[in-house]
Amino acid sequence: MTALVDRPATAANVILLDDDRWDRVLAATHGEAAACYQCGTCTATCPWGLVAGPSIGVRSVIREAQLGIDGWAEAVWRCTTCGACEARCPHQVPIGEVMLGLRGLAWRERTAPGELSSVLWDMHWDGNPWGRPPSTRSAWAAGLDIPRFDPGIHTTLLYIGCTASYDRRAQKVARAVVGLMRAGGVPFGTLGDDEPCCGDPARSLGNDAYFERIAAANAAQFKVAGVTDIVTVSPHCYDTFSSHYGAAGDQFQVRHYSQLARDLIAEGKLTFSGLEATSATFHDPCYLARHHDETEAPRAMLAAIPGLELAEMERSRSETLCCGGGGGRMWMETPADERFATARAREAAATGAAYLVTTCPHCISCLEDGVSVAGARDLKVIDLAELAMLAGCVSAPTTSPEASHD
Amino acid sequence: MTGELHMLVCLKVVPKSEEVGVDRATNTLDRGNARSEINPPDMNALEAALALKDRYGGRVSLLSMGPPFVVPMLRVGLAMGADAAYLLSDRAFGGADTLATSLTLASAIRKIGDIDLVLCGEESSDGATAQVPPGIAAWLGIPQVTYAMDIELERGHILVTREIRGGEEVLDAPLPAVVSVKVSCNQPRFMDVEGMAGLDRDGTVTTWTAADLDVDVNHIGLAGSPTSVAGLREALQTVGRRREVVTGTPEQEAHILYERISEFVRSSSPRTQETST
Amino acid sequence: MIDPAYSPQAASGIWVFLEQDGNVLAPVSLELLGKARELSRQSGAELTGLLAGHNLDELAGRAASLDLDRVVYVSHPLLERFTAEAYAHATAEVILQQRPDIFLLGATPYGRDLAGRLAVMLRTGLTADCTDLALDPESGLLLGEVSGFGGGILATIKCEQHRPQMATVRPGVFAEVQSQRDTAAPVEKVEADVPASACPVAVVSRRQHAGVDVSRAERLVIAGAGVRGDMGTVEALARALDAEIGATRVAVDEGWAGREQQIGQTGVIARPKLAVVCGASGATQFTVGIEQAGLVIALNQDPEASIFEQADLCVVDDLFPVVRALVAEFESHNGGAK
Repeated sequence: MTALVDRPATAANVILLDDDRWDRVLAATHGEAAACYQCGTCTATCPWGLVAGPSIGVRSVIREAQLGIDGWAEAVWRCTTCGACEARCPHQVPIGEVMLGLRGLAWRERTAPGELSSVLWDMHWDGNPWGRPPSTRSAWAAGLDIPRFDPGIHTTLLYIGCTASYDRRAQKVARAVVGLMRAGGVPFGTLGDDEPCCGDPARSLGNDAYFERIAAANAAQFKVAGVTDIVTVSPHCYDTFSSHYGAAGDQFQVRHYSQLARDLIAEGKLTFSGLEATSATFHDPCYLARHHDETEAPRAMLAAIPGLELAEMERSRSETLCCGGGGGRMWMETPADERFATARAREAAATGAAYLVTTCPHCISCLEDGVSVAGARDLKVIDLAELAMLAGCVSAPTTSPEASHD
Repeated sequence: MTGELHMLVCLKVVPKSEEVGVDRATNTLDRGNARSEINPPDMNALEAALALKDRYGGRVSLLSMGPPFVVPMLRVGLAMGADAAYLLSDRAFGGADTLATSLTLASAIRKIGDIDLVLCGEESSDGATAQVPPGIAAWLGIPQVTYAMDIELERGHILVTREIRGGEEVLDAPLPAVVSVKVSCNQPRFMDVEGMAGLDRDGTVTTWTAADLDVDVNHIGLAGSPTSVAGLREALQTVGRRREVVTGTPEQEAHILYERISEFVRSSSPRTQETST
Repeated sequence: MIDPAYSPQAASGIWVFLEQDGNVLAPVSLELLGKARELSRQSGAELTGLLAGHNLDELAGRAASLDLDRVVYVSHPLLERFTAEAYAHATAEVILQQRPDIFLLGATPYGRDLAGRLAVMLRTGLTADCTDLALDPESGLLLGEVSGFGGGILATIKCEQHRPQMATVRPGVFAEVQSQRDTAAPVEKVEADVPASACPVAVVSRRQHAGVDVSRAERLVIAGAGVRGDMGTVEALARALDAEIGATRVAVDEGWAGREQQIGQTGVIARPKLAVVCGASGATQFTVGIEQAGLVIALNQDPEASIFEQADLCVVDDLFPVVRALVAEFESHNGGAK
């Protein structure tokens, strides 16, 4: 497909500014790039600098966004929205949002990579970005006998999300979260096959217009269902519901399950019998640690497990290294030598820990791949909820021996 | 071709394959709660039309046959950038085989008029006959090109790269013509940002009944279909495989596979002289 | 109902379209002849092969030694290259004259292209892409088995009043005709009347792919979703086994393999002696494509994957280390199976 972009005629060292385009770029990025004074810390912080292949010239992209000129092209699609640059930016430029805004402009101008359309079509036809049948959305829960959410009985909606619903590996995480919530005595239900996609893939691929439609439809569905308290399996769904549903999001409270577990532990409703002396290192998901400043809830859970020693990696908490799966990168191919997760797996292996613990389905997927590529065979990637079940916080959920890791 | 290029895309709304079964009591298709989608190759046909419109200008009309619930699907096509949509909806159209279906669609195409290029998906995911596009062409008495991978426009002709057995060929056809498009030959664009607003708008799809078409009601629908279904069943799973589980370390597993493959190759008949190297 | 071109009473004989390209018969035509002979034995009908083209006397002669009762050869210069319009025009003419009861074509691109147009010209029914054919024991009607909904549903279709009963048949579902006649069958050459106006489409160029036809491969390594785009590993195994590479629909949709490599109900039905299936879940629409394979080996990490119900040897493990070790083993045995 040909681009409809009017490219400014350029001669050597001459850049022609196009007012009309400038206006469009400004609108798409809400003028957020303006505060940048081009120090370049962002480019230096970007994890793309750690791997083979071209890095993202973050500073240049922001400059181009300020001036309304082209040049960013595919660079904006590589951003994982990990937020590492924003954390260091002296002028608090919301760089990730600028990147998403530029993606949004690409959708409007029909220059977005064609294959990403298929992700949005899968969401449209199937209600999930994996193109799986909506009629099998709750198949992960087979044998668990989870009730349909009923506001008269349940305080909390457990929102599973698309990846934990359909991905075989992440399904085990969903089952473990169910075990955790049952142990804590939380009255909860799910929406079964009617659970909608939260809209994160549309938002993180930059199609804000489509995301707004999804968010409006979901908010209406939750309202009808009487949902006021949501617990999510994935930090991405947590972020989407809590930060991007606008006023509609005010009708419900949202927590990531690690936050719920922390509260249950503090209230004495959740304890662990413990593990035989072992060690773990914790990988902070970007969408908890950096986007929501939540680094302690998962650690409170780890600290409550007798016999478990935590060996921190150098890059931890708000300094965490992105797994590579955010910003819609789960739906784009990354060559093996350009995956952050490989570097991350090596860092985790260097701690000597037996477990690489994290608490995000995308991180699990990327890190397992990273461990495999890095050849770190002794390192077991595990979700926090799965580890909690292993540590015997309760008996495992009814019929599922594989709800804990195998 | 006179004036601007007018393309018409035939869209079929089909139940999602994996959600359809056979009702064992009545031995009929159970579409029960099956969700619907636009037949995937038809989306490729629409993308091909919109790409031609991007390059050469003109307009794109959509045509479908089905119940009223098809209307929102046609709005999806409009949101992608099509200019008009027509739905043929009448009980009299129901139960049609490919002969009656292609006649009905051809009659509507005649009524819309001044169509330069009719685009269809190569086949539908429910019936998988691939016979409707050639059928439309035959009823209209115009050329057909099937299994198109790429379409170029040149002075009132189309140059179409099409798939053939073991290769491809380029055909030159005068307009008007019917072209069927290979599935996955392009990436259907997502709905336009502005177009999505139209998803909720009424009155964007023109609905016609059999009475609106110049066609003999005995030649359409079930009545006009020479073929009929004699029986229906769900595909059976194969039985009789050994299902022997190989276990061990990867190296041990590989070794067992090696032994078994070598044994199998030795015992099965030797390959002929020409094919062995 | 539209009036039939001719009535069932006026119709007789089973005809098979002998698709040819460059003086060579398409394999599916030989498969059809084998099946059609079986049907003709049941009904006692005469079996005719219909050949269309130009300068094909020599091929018509060779066709006459196949297991059929006669060959009708329709000849015209405008039939030198296949175009649906000219072929439909010429074959409609001879069909209306000779009135076959059944007319079978291969469901190849050319076969489907011709059949769809021809059926409308003859105002008859067409059963498309059949995976089996039979005669109804009572009525003698042709019953075509077709699959729909991605292969999940099988339907049997008949055509009661209109003739010829037309069907296209998927390549690979029947075995090729093996027997030959001792003496050549009669060849009837028909000089067709094809006006230039019946031939509006021109073939500008043609190109054959270098690739191999996976429906005919003796050994196949098949890539499923689980290979996650790592075709290098699959290719290494294929080299070690001297095998061709096939793929599931997911792998093809992902762009890891070409559409012509797709195995399954919506792709190619393969009958290899050996199939090594890497990382496929075992969706029914795929497994029907390897039903006829000799030895099926499946590798998948997921012990619950339904592919294991369709395999002789099941490896529940990460496929990559196993495949790499297997390749190494073949290499250390100097090419092993070759």
